[in-house]
Amino acid sequence: MSSVKQSAIWELKTRQLLLPKLDHEATECEDFIAADEDTCRFAVTDGATEAFDAQNWARRLAQSWVQSQSALTAEEFREWVATEGRELHDSWNGLSLSWYSEEKARTGSFAALVGVELDFKTDSPSWTAIALGDSCLIHCREGNLLKSLPLSRPEDFNSAPVLVASDASMHEKSMTSVVIDSGNCNNGDVLLLLSDAMACWFLERFEKGDVDPNELLTTKEDHELKQFFDDERLAGRMRNDDLAVLRIELISGE
Amino acid sequence: MYSAQITRANPTCIVLLIDQSGSMSDPFSGDSSRKKADFVAEVVNHTLHDLVIRCTKTEEVRNYYHIAVIGYGRHVGTCFSAELGARQMVPISQVADYPLQVKSSYKRVSDGAGGWVEIPVRYPVWIHPSADGKTPMCDALGKVKEILEQWLKDHPHGFPPTVLHLTDGESSDGDPDEIGQQIMSLGTDDGAVLLFNCHISSRRAAKIEYPTEQASLPDGFARSLFQISSRLPPNFLSAAAQLGVHVVEGSRGFVFNGDPSSIVQFYEIGTSLTGMTPYRWMDDDRRTELA
Repeated sequence: MSSVKQSAIWELKTRQLLLPKLDHEATECEDFIAADEDTCRFAVTDGATEAFDAQNWARRLAQSWVQSQSALTAEEFREWVATEGRELHDSWNGLSLSWYSEEKARTGSFAALVGVELDFKTDSPSWTAIALGDSCLIHCREGNLLKSLPLSRPEDFNSAPVLVASDASMHEKSMTSVVIDSGNCNNGDVLLLLSDAMACWFLERFEKGDVDPNELLTTKEDHELKQFFDDERLAGRMRNDDLAVLRIELISGE
Repeated sequence: MYSAQITRANPTCIVLLIDQSGSMSDPFSGDSSRKKADFVAEVVNHTLHDLVIRCTKTEEVRNYYHIAVIGYGRHVGTCFSAELGARQMVPISQVADYPLQVKSSYKRVSDGAGGWVEIPVRYPVWIHPSADGKTPMCDALGKVKEILEQWLKDHPHGFPPTVLHLTDGESSDGDPDEIGQQIMSLGTDDGAVLLFNCHISSRRAAKIEYPTEQASLPDGFARSLFQISSRLPPNFLSAAAQLGVHVVEGSRGFVFNGDPSSIVQFYEIGTSLTGMTPYRWMDDDRRTELA
């Protein structure tokens, strides 16, 4: 848990959890969480398991997006992804690859991304988010769900979402699926950034009244959370996937 | 059922069973230049290629699948040779590492800016066309049963095996019903073995794809293959729908009087497995040409 003062009035409390698939090593996890207190940007990315170099692509997208000063409009996002994609593909130059790695690399890499920027310039803070894929931002207030994007229902999650592609032509085609949205925040509001399995689980549980957004990541220690989500996955209540969740709580000092 | 996640700890297996009898050297109806055996070998090589690519994690191939390719004609046995020829069932990482040859070519793709570019592509080859002898279907299915029984002893919990059987004619060694039913009675705790059958024809006859009942089938041979074709589980139905194939709940994994495009779809649907997006290895323009 970390706590950072963002203005004379507002403070952010954040906590994150990152877990690999069951029976996988932490080093195999393809979900990433990135946060930058200077830009007030936060991101969760999820590398596509079937893609080439997905871990590097997901890491690069998360880390670069939170440090970027742009990439919050469709046009900026288009340019930013194209640049990141070129740099990723350049990093593969000179590698001696087997026929199958070469074939896999030809289609590039893929990852889901959701990023949110908080604005504390006014008394009433606001957020702007961008998402492509099935990682989600969920905005909660007093235990209610105000917004969930880009997906909002558990049945929306399928195995073939449109993702951020490192290949230029595929990226261009995916641009029509980019979601950009914004909202205002009150004291005590919670923003959750979640990768797909966690988002699907959360929305399903919320619909049934089985989860309180205020309590997610607040009532358990890290080892207890790991055990809890391991049990959920083992019991089949949650897909056995990498899990990433970043909880951001906005607190007013007034 | 049919929902177990396919992992390295819980892999699944895929058996490609191919008719290599003498009649496979005949051309498809209406296309005198294309022998059935040549086309089937091409599709099988592409299918293996795509299964390898699906399991490739950057520079490693993960053993999510174990693969057998069994042919029957003059002989019954594995179609793999050289390094892969010693075993009936091979982990996908070894399939990846031991193609007989890797051909290089160029493919024209969109450059993303309204133009086209040519990019290098690789075509690995594992099996060559073969067409000789009779159609010992029962013997071949017996071989498949033996391989599966052995594999299931070591893998009782994962996604059950899938058998994709392709033939162009009637069995020359008896009715395959009994041995087919025996295969379909095997399984894991996630479901029974899936046996799908694709019959292809040299005659100009109406094709029947993924029927739900046998009343519309033309003869006893078709009905016999229908009886030993499993119902498509939900994920396979979704995969078929994504490919634009008309299927409904209760559709059997069965094609009768199939043409080249039926074969391509049969392998794409049959290897879609749990929640996997079917690979479309064939370009849309070539599909149109085959349709």
